[in-house]
Amino acid sequence: MSKNRLRENVAAYIFLSPILLFFAVFFAFAVGFSVWISFKQWNMLISPIDAPSIGFDNYSSLFSDPLFTASLFNTIVYAFTTTVAILVLSLLIAAALNNIKNAAIWRFIYFAPSITPAVAVGMIWGYLYNPSRGIVNEVLGWLGVPAHNWLTDPRYALMAIIITAVWAGMGASILIFTAGLKAIPQSYYDAAKIDGASRIKMFWAITLPLLKPTILFLLITGMIGAWQVFDLIYMMGANAPASSVQVISLYIYNTAFVNLQMGRASAAAMILFVIVLIITLFILRIFRQGGIESYE
Amino acid sequence: MNKKRGKITGIIKYIVVAGVGVIMIVPFFWLVSASLMTLNEFISVPPKWIPANPQWHNYVDVFHHVPFLRYYLNSFIVAISVTALVLLTSAMGGYAFAKLNFFGKKALFRFTLSTMMFPAFLFLIPNFYLVTLFGWTSNYLSLIMPFAVSAYGIFLLRQFIMGIPPDLIDAAKIDGASQFAIFTKIIIPLTKPALATLAILTFIGQWNSFLWPLIITSFSPEMTTVPVGLSKLSLAFSTYTNQNLILAGMVLQIIPVVALFLYMQRYYIKGIVLTGFGGI
Repeated sequence: MSKNRLRENVAAYIFLSPILLFFAVFFAFAVGFSVWISFKQWNMLISPIDAPSIGFDNYSSLFSDPLFTASLFNTIVYAFTTTVAILVLSLLIAAALNNIKNAAIWRFIYFAPSITPAVAVGMIWGYLYNPSRGIVNEVLGWLGVPAHNWLTDPRYALMAIIITAVWAGMGASILIFTAGLKAIPQSYYDAAKIDGASRIKMFWAITLPLLKPTILFLLITGMIGAWQVFDLIYMMGANAPASSVQVISLYIYNTAFVNLQMGRASAAAMILFVIVLIITLFILRIFRQGGIESYE
Repeated sequence: MNKKRGKITGIIKYIVVAGVGVIMIVPFFWLVSASLMTLNEFISVPPKWIPANPQWHNYVDVFHHVPFLRYYLNSFIVAISVTALVLLTSAMGGYAFAKLNFFGKKALFRFTLSTMMFPAFLFLIPNFYLVTLFGWTSNYLSLIMPFAVSAYGIFLLRQFIMGIPPDLIDAAKIDGASQFAIFTKIIIPLTKPALATLAILTFIGQWNSFLWPLIITSFSPEMTTVPVGLSKLSLAFSTYTNQNLILAGMVLQIIPVVALFLYMQRYYIKGIVLTGFGGI
């Protein structure tokens, strides 16, 4: 018996060996290295061991850098607006798509941007937003809206990118809401109808509470994704003043791979990690208080 | 009365769905239309919606003006290699976590899940240091190896393999099958649907991947992938004047993922509903 157990242990660790090796190198070492480097001044041209340690200077200097605080602010605006807008719009559309004719075709149309590379989405909308040749101003012109420099005007650039992000991100959420809506038993609605409940009442009393796990899931995954947005801002924010569109991820990228300030970039990445963690735990807490015992 | 109200809400529903649907389609319509324009049509003010004569040769010219074939090949090599490795490591890990009893199983599984909490940005600098240390910067390993294992993939396959009846495995054991034989002859064939889901998510995620290739290929441009190559041309608007050709390139970039999606839609949607991501 114990010989069998030993053999099973050996077999399991052989199966797991590539994964454990990977996690040791590309996860455990990497996280430790990030923490270590965030206390150093390192430009990648010398060995990290020789780089001078500067304590918490990387962290404190970040908060005195106006571009970093602007990036933090823009990230907060982007993450919250995008996530909430996607959540509300995709729930409405998923509800409208329920029991509609040719729902599959509509769902594919809504979903198409989700499989399109974010870089391509950014490029396409970059052309669409072009002040003189883009069709956004053209169409708005028909409606009497004056032309704007959407992606170069600091007042509109972030908003224009958020609209694109919502356009691109709705499809996946619609699919998930559709699955959630289908899981609600029709008998609940039938019973409510007998009691004379209105459609709006049914939505608030049945649909929304039963979709709570779905909403929680989309809020967390949406937030985590939105806090790390890079491709869209990189493609669409290139011509706007940096302080009006730059987000943390872009700040990290530029600090590390353009300015070669690895320590400082690592410190910013640590801060990003802590913020994402706090937001995730916070959302989980709110929903637990709302009556969801365990969501895993 | 009630019937009439139902009809009205039905119409409102349809207007919402179709109205927003038009906004979803128009950018794609414009992309395809503009990819067939001449440069003059493309830069005309006010914008043209449809080319006078579709310039199908744009799709050939793009291969002559930029090393597009190279980009395409690079993207395929990386996406297929990563997908193959992720399938293998996820199946192995998923099997061990689902069906084998070993010391430290619970702790290792929790650890695997917890790695998903860490944002990708934390790994850019250490991974760049590592691939330089290993001497991989000028070959594909730098683009492939940091993505060879997916915690999500291990989780997905573990969940799926747990559903395989233990009797099958026990019967094979009595027949004297080794763990390796059980894995290749029983587990893998029965796990195909989950493998298909993981394969399509991984492939599309890698095909669309941008940030890591952007960093790596700035040091070794010969490995430039399609998204990186097109983004460079697109952002160099003032110096690169054949912008209409980039649009043809973009259509060619989107076609493989749309084709794959349509072909394996069932598996892809299953993956999306499980993860909430359009790629990993």
